[in-house]
Order: sequence, then structure tokens, then C-alpha cells
Amino acid sequence: MSADADTQGWVGVRLLRKEDRRHLLGASTFTADVRVPGLLEVAFVRSQFAHGRLGAVAKPDGARVFSAEDFPHLKPIDGGPELPSFRAAPYHAFARDKVHFVGQIVAACLAPTRAQAEDLADQVGVEVDALPAVVDTVEALAPGAAILHDGFPDNAFIHATVTEGDIAAVAAAAPVALRRTFRMNRQATVSLEGRGVLAYWDHRLDELVVTLSTQGAHVMRIGLAMALGLPEHKLHLIAPDVGGGFGGKNRLMPEEVAVCALALKTGRPVRWIEDRREHLMASVHCREHHYDITLYATREGRLLGLKGEVHIDAGAYSLWPSGPFMEASMAARNLPGPYQMQALHVETHTVATSKAPMGPYRGVARPGACFAIERAVDELAHAIGMEPAEVRRINLVGPHQMPYRTIGGMQLDSGDYPQALERVREMVDLAALRRRQQAGEDDGRRIGVGFAVYTEQSGHGAAEWTKRKSRIVPGYESATARMLPDGTLLLLVGIQNHGQGLETSLAQIAAQELSLDPHAISVRYGDTALTPFGFGTFASRSIVFSGGAVARATRALADKARRIGAHLLQADVADTRLADGAVHGPNGKVSLAEIARAANVRQEFLPAGMPPLLDETATYEPEESGGFFSYGAHAAVVAVDPETGVTTTLDYAIAEDCGTMINPMIVDGQIIGGVAQGIGTALYEEIPYDADGQPLATTFGDYMVPCAPELPALRIHHLVTPAHGTEYGVKGMGEGGAIAPPAAIANAVSDALRDFGARIWETPLTPRRVSDAVAAACGDRSEDAV
Amino acid sequence: MTAITLTLNGDRVREEVEPRDILADLLRDRLRLTGTHLGCEHGACGACTVTLDGLPVRSCIVLAVMCDGRTVETIEGTRADATMDVIRRHFHEQHALQCGFCTPGMLIAARDIIARHTRPDEATVRRELSGQVCRCTGYMGIVAAIRAAAAELHPAPGADLRTPDLSTS
Amino acid sequence: MKPAAVDYVRPADLAAACSLLAEAGDAAMPVSGGQSLIPMMSLRLTGFETLVDISRIAALKRTETDATHVVIGAATTHAAIEDGAIPDPSHGLMARIAGRIAYRAVRNLGTIGGSVALADPAADWPCCLLALGADILLAGPDGARTLPADGFFLGPYETARAPAEIITGFRIPRLAEGARWGTSKVARKSGAFSDSLAVAILLPDGGGRIALTGTSSHPRLLPAAGAALAARDSAALRATVKAELAALGEDADPYRARCHLATVTRAAEEAWSA
Repeated sequence: MSADADTQGWVGVRLLRKEDRRHLLGASTFTADVRVPGLLEVAFVRSQFAHGRLGAVAKPDGARVFSAEDFPHLKPIDGGPELPSFRAAPYHAFARDKVHFVGQIVAACLAPTRAQAEDLADQVGVEVDALPAVVDTVEALAPGAAILHDGFPDNAFIHATVTEGDIAAVAAAAPVALRRTFRMNRQATVSLEGRGVLAYWDHRLDELVVTLSTQGAHVMRIGLAMALGLPEHKLHLIAPDVGGGFGGKNRLMPEEVAVCALALKTGRPVRWIEDRREHLMASVHCREHHYDITLYATREGRLLGLKGEVHIDAGAYSLWPSGPFMEASMAARNLPGPYQMQALHVETHTVATSKAPMGPYRGVARPGACFAIERAVDELAHAIGMEPAEVRRINLVGPHQMPYRTIGGMQLDSGDYPQALERVREMVDLAALRRRQQAGEDDGRRIGVGFAVYTEQSGHGAAEWTKRKSRIVPGYESATARMLPDGTLLLLVGIQNHGQGLETSLAQIAAQELSLDPHAISVRYGDTALTPFGFGTFASRSIVFSGGAVARATRALADKARRIGAHLLQADVADTRLADGAVHGPNGKVSLAEIARAANVRQEFLPAGMPPLLDETATYEPEESGGFFSYGAHAAVVAVDPETGVTTTLDYAIAEDCGTMINPMIVDGQIIGGVAQGIGTALYEEIPYDADGQPLATTFGDYMVPCAPELPALRIHHLVTPAHGTEYGVKGMGEGGAIAPPAAIANAVSDALRDFGARIWETPLTPRRVSDAVAAACGDRSEDAV
Repeated sequence: MTAITLTLNGDRVREEVEPRDILADLLRDRLRLTGTHLGCEHGACGACTVTLDGLPVRSCIVLAVMCDGRTVETIEGTRADATMDVIRRHFHEQHALQCGFCTPGMLIAARDIIARHTRPDEATVRRELSGQVCRCTGYMGIVAAIRAAAAELHPAPGADLRTPDLSTS
Repeated sequence: MKPAAVDYVRPADLAAACSLLAEAGDAAMPVSGGQSLIPMMSLRLTGFETLVDISRIAALKRTETDATHVVIGAATTHAAIEDGAIPDPSHGLMARIAGRIAYRAVRNLGTIGGSVALADPAADWPCCLLALGADILLAGPDGARTLPADGFFLGPYETARAPAEIITGFRIPRLAEGARWGTSKVARKSGAFSDSLAVAILLPDGGGRIALTGTSSHPRLLPAAGAALAARDSAALRATVKAELAALGEDADPYRARCHLATVTRAAEEAWSA
């Protein structure tokens, strides 16, 4: 796999993935692949109304159909920050009294097959006294708007202000003030495997076994125990292979509670496998930000401050554990981006609407914030007659200023941001593109180039999560390293690999510390009965936290192995070293296999008084828990047909820095996959709602997921600034790819259509939106567009 | 219920099906061939792609009853297929999978693309992959793997013939 | 997302299929490739009680050729047309159209007859067959009849086919030697139904036909635009198309109208440059 590993170790090696084989053989095990005898399948009856009072639920006689009345003791599962100003609306697994979005669960039907369960669902009658839907994010707060939740004074879960510096003084003195609105529309997370739950009571173990597709089984157990009223030791959660998550499998959802409750009530194994319509209608929704911002600057393009208002459309409920407020605070704090400015004042509104509840999606809030600030920077550049890349360059935080606290309160730790911008400028050859634009295209299309610079907070621990008032504080990870009697290694970790290659990357770290071949290492996760407690995989945290915990646990194990080895070699520990799977002393070496044999089954060879076993558990949190910032610059080159609005991405360049790369192949895979999703946000993916609150994209016929023809080949340049204060200098990087593309693409489209003055302000930039924007700008001259 | 017979991964299989039974559900739930994944159930994502009489089809929009007498091959049936082993190895080497959910359908599509186009260029591979959704990789590794496998399986005249390594680890 | 219970019959031949459909009326639905029908069944958007499987009826798979026409069976798959596996009356136009319908795995089962019978207002084949001047061959309890494509499409999902009739094939005139074609499509992504699709055919005698789909109702021929094709003047053609769209009421959605203008112009330009 790598000839380098013998001399340089395993960190930094393009090791092919350990997890590939089972998938390539079609032998992996996803939740829907697990079957137990006597299984009943669930079909949910869901609200067809966006808002209404729930009346009687008429159930067919003798059928296994259940609704709220059957589960009076289930606890609601709403979450949110621990802030008194945050308004909670109870979220019951089965709707009680009212329904608040199309797709909300009203009843569950059980039958031996899903088709039969759906037959039952077709026979259930649901009385709903319809109330007005609350659909538009901004108008939801207007006086006179229908109120969604009883007892709320307005449709906000919370209003909050992020302010720093003297915005009034900046506004009064600024030579240029540029006000713009931007909107990033609603999406679903669209893991290719939907969610799914299978639950049954295991009488031997006297516990409820719950197999589910989740990003964090340990945390979900806390939530399920709370909702079901079960003690945690009676809940055994297993996340097998998980087919993508992207944030959408990191919230406690009503289906999970319902399936467990149904298994307890019926005494039968019960499962629900989400179908795509359910996923698009009622799984975690995301994005949907509205920005009204004013950028203050000098005529020379220096940014001075930013004032604005952000509306986050949170949907009907606040999902456990964190709720939607993080979205608003992160959007506001990331609005200044990587730029220097003197003042920031942002009013945020986290708005309740009659839509599916919002949750995290790759990038969380930052794609919207990046879109808003980077589009505004381009608008500013245009207004003052500067090259947009140049405005960025003069405002970026420089390498000599690190660490640098942005006006949004983000502590940027290290790196060379202007260098990243310069790299992508070279990669797309900006000067040549400007010449090409002047020459024009033979086919009538317009070429445009757009830039965006982003930061990606990663590996943030207790300090950051307590600042966000999170009721779960994912401030550490844990790992158990267990060497078996033959010297092979079992790593038990609390994160949840779901495509990120963590079986491979974590094995590389253990291999590095123990000088073992990664093939001698098994990585296990996703089973609350097997692994030490951990928070799961999200927020670009696993390589920092779990990688750190693995490094610590294996290092402790290596220390003990060396002590045993020194004893066996009759050498001083200080004279030994671990290399090539053996402890080497002045007079010879002893293999880890021999050491492991002694530690496990031949204790007579251990030093006097040394406890047996090579079994170490460690936790890890970096000392600085405000996070480590990966960053990068993206440049997109597009061709736009001004008449039809069809946009084609011609070139896409990325220069990024995520510190030390454990496995550069996996890092590139994360970047490319992230950018693909970002381009989805930019150009394709959207769940619009009509005025009655009906979702209009509930199949892949209407929800456009980009396929291979829609995406360009990307070019990636790595800058590597090892982080200070993480193991090996790593930074998290799983989300970064998805943050900048909406901004870069929208800037490129806007650049392409600059001659027309088309206003590009809203994602996704569908052909219809772009074509309409050109037509609106041209008015009667629309024929000129061709 | 209607009795049907299939030649499934080389074996004769007789099953009683309801007319409404979807081929993918028969394969997965009754015959325990869970390598065929369901990602959309309306023919738009490609995760469930199998071959029917040798042609790739979406098993989520095929009725089992309509397959009576026909030949079906799922990903499990390709484990002894030397061509597929070459494709698998390139998928592994090119990091053409992350979560793995799309992979079985992607492999079946890949083999068909190589069979029809011999040595496809990048644009052809991308066009042919339309409708095979991968949410993780951004397709670059998949496109590279298909092209590399095609080059190995259909070497240009005079090129070295590599012996396929059948292992996939 | 699983279909509701349904009955299933597999008649041995066309006559049996037609009589089954005649007896059952709306309660029966013929299925061949099923690539549109089965997803609708899974979404429980259909109301019939019996599926009549016509996919194995040999009469629907025949091809016949003579000096002036090619007859292709209704059960011919998109992929077979894409691959040139059947005789081509169209100098490659039909292969090009076929290759852009949905996705390859769908094209392997989906049939031209099914596409025409469904008559989705955004579908590709109705537009192409209109442009080619094809006839639609039908069999019913009262025997066979032939209808021109022009006039067959009455509205969204609505055709002149009687409920008990089965489309058996298409009789397509061979494009004259020297005829040129072009086609252009606007869709939100590859494989998606089109917002607009135009097919232009320029005949060596100076005649021309332009067909358009993605309209508010059903695919249409644009006779004035077709007549303007020979002049090889983009600006004049655009003016003609604009007027024609307005006359047809197809300019109500300005975006769609812009797409139609663009696809017609590009289809024409491709035909001119061919």
C-alpha cells in the first residue's frame, strides 16, 4: 500500500481504505439489511395539512394502528439552547392536539410488509381543522401573521443580537454603504441511505436493541431514554453501516421514538425504513436563511463594518438536542468571514414556520453566511470599480496577524489566507479569463468567474459548545486500544464512521503510534454496548477528537508495551524504542506479539507488580477548545446562457489548508464530495413550499440532486499549516467543501451577467431564476440578452 | 399470489409473488440479497441497479411478476466475475466510494458503460452516469475508476496487459 | 412507497389484450416497460385494478421497412433506438432523442409506445414523432386504425387513444436524402423532464417542420416556424416563433417562452449547420 510507511510512519500516507471491501462486494450491512424473525413494518400516517387542529383519528377495526392516545407517557423530544429567551414548543413523536407541518406523524400502522402497512395507512381517517399556514420566513414575523404555536407572542423561537464594535460610528463615517438582501433556500440533507430504525426487546439481555442509521448512537441513547422513560442500561443502540448523514442523522427524530415505543407496546420486532418521499418531506431540512445586510467600506475597498438582519427558517419544531438557534448565531458570527473589519451588528431571528424542522447540514449556517458576505463583497467591488479578488486580498486576515480574533468572535488560529486566494487566482488564470470575457463566446453564452474565501471551525470543544448553550457538550472523545494476545489491535471509538474513512484514518494513527501495520488493526464503533462513550461524527470533529483519543490511548499502550519489552530484553526502558512492530533494545528486540502474549496470557513474564493486559482507554480534548480553523479559497468559472438561464460549471479550483493530513486521499475525497453538495446548493437543490404550506419537491423528479454530468472535475491545491495544539497538527475538514460553492458559483454567475445588471441573490440558481433575473434587468430589452 | 421462476445469479429460483411486489423487495426481503440498495424507490437514484437479461435496470421500478422466466444478476452474483473484480480494484484505488450505499448500483452501471463504450472519455462516462446518484464522492473517483478499469480491460493496441488482481482489499 | 394490491394478467396476444382492456375499462392498465407507471404505482397515484402485461407480445416488437417508411413496434425500448439496433428512418435524430431520455437503466426497459401512450407534456418522443410526421398505429377491439401524430396529443396525459386500444407501433416516413435535423433541450439537470425541447427538420425541398414540447398542454407543431426554417435567418425565425407562441397561448409563462425561443432557434441552427 505504501512503501513510505516503513520510513515515515503511517500519518500522511495515501492508504487505501479498509472499509471498501465489504461495500464493493455488496456485503455491507445497513439498517434496512438487518432482519429479525417476526418483524413488523411501519408505515406512518402523516399530516397532509401544514397547520391545523387535530381531531379524531379513525382507525380500521382490529388493525395494528397507533396514535398519540396509545402513548400517553411518551415525553416530548424538543431541544434547543439552555437560554430563558428560547421558546420551546413541545414536539411529540405522535402529534397531539395540533399538526404543524405537512409530513408530521399522526399515526403508525404495523403489518408484516411495508406494502400491507401502507394499505392500512390508506384506511386511516384523520380529521384536521385547518389553520393558516406560516410559510414565508420574513413575513412570519410581520404584524398580523398567523401564530403557529399556542402561547408564542410571535413566530420566533428566539430573537438575538450579535454585536461588537461601534457600528453607529462606522456607519456614520463610512464613505460607502452597500445594502443587499440574499436568500438561501430550503433543502434536505439527502443521504443516499435514508433514515431507518429497527427495535426489539432482547429477553436474554433484558434490553431494547435499537438498530438505527445515526451519526451518534451514544447521544441518541440519551434522548431515547428520556423520551421513552427507560433507564439507559436498558437501551442498546447499534448503528451498523450508515449510508451518509451530512448532519441529517444527528438529531433525535420522532420516528425513532415511535418505533421503539411500538416495539415495547406490541412486544414484536418493529422497523421503519424511511422512503425518499418521507425523507424530502419530513426528515431534517436545512439552509433557508434570509439576509438583509449593509456593508460599510472605503472607496478603496477596505471593509469597515457590517450591519444586518438574519432570518433563519427553523420549521415547526426545535430538534433535540441543540435546536435551530446554533444556525442563527453561527450565521451572524461567520458573516464577517475571514475579513478584517471594525464593527458588526446583526439582529437574528430564528423563525417558526409550518415546515419540517431544521437541523444541521454539512457546513451548518456557514454556506449561508459565506454566500451573503462573499456576494456582498463582489457587489461592493463592482460598485467601486475594483476587481473582486483584489477587494478580498486587501481585507483578508494576514499570516502575520495570526492568531486573529474576528469581529464575529472567531479565533482564527493559523494559516495564510491571502496565499490561498492567490493560488486559486493563478489556478483559474484570472487575467486570461478577463481577456476571454472581453472577446465573448461564439455560442452566445457568457463566461464568469467568482471567488469565495471561507473558514471552517473544527475540533471545537467545551468552551465553544458551552458558549452556544448546548444541552449536550461534545467537548471530548474517547478511545479504547486493546491489544489481543497475538499482537493485533482492537480500537473501540465513540465516533460514527459513515463514509469519512475513519476506519482507515484512525487505524493509521494507531499504526503510527504502535508501528503496527494498519491491517493488524480493527476499528469498531456504532455500538453502545461495545465502545466507550462518545458524541459521534459531526461538526468536523472526529479527526481532531477521536484521532487525539486514539493517539493517546495507543501511546499509553505503547508505553506499557515498551516497559514489558524492556523487562523481557533485560534492558532499561530508556534504552528501548518501538519500531517495526517490536520493542528494540541494545541487545535485541521483542515483537509486540510476544509482548501481547505475555500481557494477556503469560503473566509470569511481566515485570513484578505490573497489572496484566494491554488495554488502555483515553479521552482527548485539545487545550484550546475554541476550535481550529481550516480555511480555503474557491474559484468557479461558469458559462451562463442568458436566455434560458442554464449555468454550466467550466472550471473549479480550490486551495485549502486543513493542517496535517492523516490520509491525503481521504481529505481530497471529503473536499470533492463537499463541493459537489455545495454546487447542489448553488444550482440544483430546493424544497419550495406553496402558500398553503405544501412541499413541492417530494421526489427526485422535483428535487434535483447533481449527478456526474452536472459536476466539473475539481482541481485542488493544499497548503499545509499544522495546527498548534492538536495531535499531529490536524484540523477537521469534512464540511469546508460545502461552504464556499454557493458563494463562488453565484459570484461567477453574477460576473457573467454583469453587462445585463442581473440581480443574483437567491440559491439555487435554477435556469428559471437566472433567466428571470436577466429578463428583469433588461426589461423591454430582453431580446438584447441573446 | 403468482408463481414465478428466475435465473438468479446463476441459480434457478421459484417464488410466489404478489403482482405488486417490486423486484428489489423480492431480492432484498425474501431472497436476502441485500447488496441491492433502495435509495429512492422511484427509479431516480440508481442504487438498486441490477441486470435483467444482461441489461442494467432499476430493480425498484420493475415488478417481480414481470421477470418470470428471466435472468437477474445482483451485485452478489458478480463476486466471481473477473471483469467486475478489475472494476472493483480501480474503485478501491481511486477512492470511488465513501459511505458505500451507491456502490453496488454504480458497479453494475460501470461494467455496462465499459462494455458499451470500450474506452470512454471523461465526458462519456459522466453522461452515462447520469441518474446514478452518489452523495459522497462528487463522482471524480468514480469517473477515474471507470476510465482506468476500461483502459485495463480494453488496452490500446501495443499496451501492456496487466494481470487482474482479483483481491479487493 | 410500495404499490397497492393489483391484479395481473399476461395475455398471449394482442387480441386477448384488447378484449381484456375492453371488458375492464378504466379498471385495467396496459404495462410494457413500466418505467413511468411503476413509480406512479409505488407513489399510489394510480387507480386501476388490473395490470395487463403486454411486454411479451411479439406483435409489439416487430419492425418493418419499405422504401418510404419504417414501422417500429411500440415495445421498442429507448435503448434499442439509442443504440441503432433497429432500422432508422431519421438520419440519427431518433437515436439522439432516445439517448437523452431519463437514464440508461430506464432506457433499457422504457418503451417508445409507453412514452407516447402516457403523453407527459414534457416527454421527448411525442415531439420527435410530430416533427417526423409519423403515424400512430393502434389496435382495439374493433380492429386496427392509424392516426397521424399531429392531432393525436390532446392535452397533458391525454391522447386520441381509446381506453381499450393499444398502441402497436409507429409508421415513420423516411427522412429524404439531404434532409437535415437539429434538436435542443433545456432541463434542470441531465435526465430530468425538459422545460423545453424542440426538434427542427429541414427538408431538401425547402419545407420544414418544427415541433415543441415542454408546453403547457401537449407537444405542438409550429407550422409558421417550420415554414420559416428554409430562410436560414435566426432573427426572422425568432420573430415568427414568438408570434406563434403568443398565438398558441404558450407565452403565458415568460421563462418557458424564453426557453422555447432558445430551443427552437438552436434546433434550427443545428439543422442549418448540419
